[in-house]
Amino acid sequence: MTSRTPTVCPYCAVGCGFYITPNGVEYMQDHPVNEGSLCPKGNVAPDVLNHVERLRYPMMRTGDGWIRVSWSEALDRVAEEMPRALREKGPKALAFLGSAKCTNEENYTFQKIARLMGTNSIDNSARRCHSPTIIALRRMLGTPAMTNPISDLALSDCIFVIGSNLAENHPVVARWILRAKDRGAAVIVADPRVTPTAWLADLHLQLNPGTDIALINGMINVILGEGLEDRSFIRERTRGFEELDVSDYTPERVSSITGLSAADIVRAARLYAKAGASSIVYCMGITQHSCGTENVTACANLALICGQVGRPGTGILPLRGQNNVQGACDMGALADFYPGWRSVDDSGAIDELRRLWNARSLPLGRGLTADMMPDADLRFLYVMGEDIVNSHPAVARRRERLKRGFVVVQDIFLTDTAKLADLVLPAAAWAEKEGTFTSTERRVQWVSRAREPPGDARPDLWILSEVAARLGFDLPHDPEEVLAEINQAVPAYGGICRMNAGRRGGIIWPCPHPDHPGTPVLHTERFSTPDGRARITPVHHPAPERTSPEHPMILITGRVVLHYNSGSMTMRSEGLVKREPELHVDVHPDDAVRFGVADGDTVMIETRWGRARARAKLTPGQKRGTLFMPFHFPETNLVASELLDEKSMMPELKVAACRIWRAD
Amino acid sequence: MTRIYLDPERCIGCRSCEVACEREHGHPRISVGVVDDLAAVPVYCHQCDAAPCVAVCHTDSLRIDGEMVVFNPDLCTLCGLCAVACPFGAIELGSEIKRCDLCSGTPVCVMTCPTEALVRGDVDAITRSTRARAAGVLAARLR
Ligand code: SF4
Ligand code: SF4
Ligand code: SF4
Repeated sequence: MTSRTPTVCPYCAVGCGFYITPNGVEYMQDHPVNEGSLCPKGNVAPDVLNHVERLRYPMMRTGDGWIRVSWSEALDRVAEEMPRALREKGPKALAFLGSAKCTNEENYTFQKIARLMGTNSIDNSARRCHSPTIIALRRMLGTPAMTNPISDLALSDCIFVIGSNLAENHPVVARWILRAKDRGAAVIVADPRVTPTAWLADLHLQLNPGTDIALINGMINVILGEGLEDRSFIRERTRGFEELDVSDYTPERVSSITGLSAADIVRAARLYAKAGASSIVYCMGITQHSCGTENVTACANLALICGQVGRPGTGILPLRGQNNVQGACDMGALADFYPGWRSVDDSGAIDELRRLWNARSLPLGRGLTADMMPDADLRFLYVMGEDIVNSHPAVARRRERLKRGFVVVQDIFLTDTAKLADLVLPAAAWAEKEGTFTSTERRVQWVSRAREPPGDARPDLWILSEVAARLGFDLPHDPEEVLAEINQAVPAYGGICRMNAGRRGGIIWPCPHPDHPGTPVLHTERFSTPDGRARITPVHHPAPERTSPEHPMILITGRVVLHYNSGSMTMRSEGLVKREPELHVDVHPDDAVRFGVADGDTVMIETRWGRARARAKLTPGQKRGTLFMPFHFPETNLVASELLDEKSMMPELKVAACRIWRAD
Repeated sequence: MTRIYLDPERCIGCRSCEVACEREHGHPRISVGVVDDLAAVPVYCHQCDAAPCVAVCHTDSLRIDGEMVVFNPDLCTLCGLCAVACPFGAIELGSEIKRCDLCSGTPVCVMTCPTEALVRGDVDAITRSTRARAAGVLAARLR
């Protein structure tokens, strides 16, 4: 192994490149996404590699404790329990949770095992970050992914950021937005809070939480009223425009729903529609709602009526959370899709896989999603690299129910989910194995092995292929071999190999054949729908979560720059955790007076779903009448709403009526 | 005169510079303050030409050497006057004075900054590029 190995950041989905050196990190200044820069998480990413708490040996539960077992004992046990559950209760008794932090090859193999065992109950954490994006963009544009690369933002003349605090969650994206500003671009940020992203805005729309559809429909109302839509684009490249009726969404009415001034709504509409190239950037502030799918639909409608798709500097840019959310979904680690975005209801498309896999039959119809698993009558649950207990609100409250069957957890740390397991398998971390990761901009990058895994920890792919062999399936254990099979199973990855994915910056899918240069900008000539046209789809403002005398405030959840998801990695990084050690709740000073709370007080927050304790932080950046809590701390999930978006099964994580009081 | 300059309009308060500096030096010599969640300002040594820390140092442990302020720990009595005199609060006292030494040429804070808010270079060159950028923005707005 050389002294410096190129790698890709294991945290968010921006896909920043850097080198791992024996002492830590060296910047990669010729990487096309981050040009060397890294956010704080990337800077300390190697901290987790040799952390003392890394799982080093397979462990079996004995009552309350654990005993160390050999790999062959552990693997034999998995291969006994899985078929036993199948024999006793059928495929419905099995469930699998893949990982948006594992490689494409690992997720592909994992979902293949699930499907060969006869179940579509396989999911991954995309369920609670971008399942609405998947459903809405696949239906409207044909491809459920970011349309343009991140660096394209520098070419935009107007950037509309809605439901994303990218300056904290995807800091490197801010680099490209500032480049656009240097050229005179206008930046609009719609967010109820004054975030560091809002600092970059020329126009900050501090809307009421959960009123995004009203705002966008209001902008469309202004655009159509002033004739700013792109008629020829609508005529030639879309369908469904006639059904789009937003006449109810006058700026005045939208003003009363969103709390914004009518003038700001008009200004935003004009800025977006009149710019030569406009892009929309959104994140979980749009998707994590019980109307998440409609929210994404509204964003896409706005882009389509203005013809702001299919050119450099335009497009719809969903920022994914984890480093391989896009890839895990492309690989079919989803209850509603097989690899290559084949719907679980499309038996024709699935038949191709059946032949490729030499399988007698494959299951049809949606399986259990992550949030449904605790309520199902499971006998066997296999969790690969996912701390479902800390990341799914419903699961957090119903964690004990997960234990009704045999639970295998394969991870790098003993997470709260692993603590529930009957068998824990120690996995290699990202830099201790090989394979590809797909960033939020569809960039597929090969990651090489930079370090040895600690103790007996093994790459997930090795573990899975050993389990498969014991089940009687002969699946490759070499990432390159798996990638060769992915070439056939996932058309957009048809030409991706170790060579092109291993180049600096990798390659952006679709890359249908080996000589193809990749496709940074989608939909330039036609959309990937069957007839090549995008589907404009009307959506309406839903009834919002209401406050009441018992719950007079609205709780918003989100992230902070120093932590990441459930914190299983960042909470083990000293440089990060000491700067952000505990759960806080942001309160506007006026609300603090109202509820008798002072800065630094320990407070209780209660929604109709649960209670949490936090430290109050007074800040004028918080919108009056709302509170904000970061979800990296398990308590936040206990108070988050359990309502679901029926289309995508996304939980309503962003908005919940609540109350606050001083704890002592 | 080579220094590190901050464009406060670009800083998003991410503290990446602080975390990177800590990784390289064991202790951060740049410290990002976020004011009321409304703006962020990284505080660090500006290698002042007429440096107040140098002026108050009785022992010559701080002195100007060509382009920058340098520190000689052997002469330092840890009296703390420099820390009080620094108009930026860039000096921290510990068992030894902690202040930025420009990372001998390739400052990791500059390299890691996601937004290019920190720039290392010659003041004239930086002013020229700032002017060019401002003119470009103005021109775009007039178009
Ligand atoms: S922006 Fe995302 S990918 Fe880049 S360093 Fe930070 S966490 Fe890693
Ligand atoms: S130049 Fe080096 S020592 Fe100075 S603040 Fe930056 S990282 Fe720290
Ligand atoms: S790294 Fe850059 S943006 Fe982040 S706090 Fe430091 S100066 Fe500000």
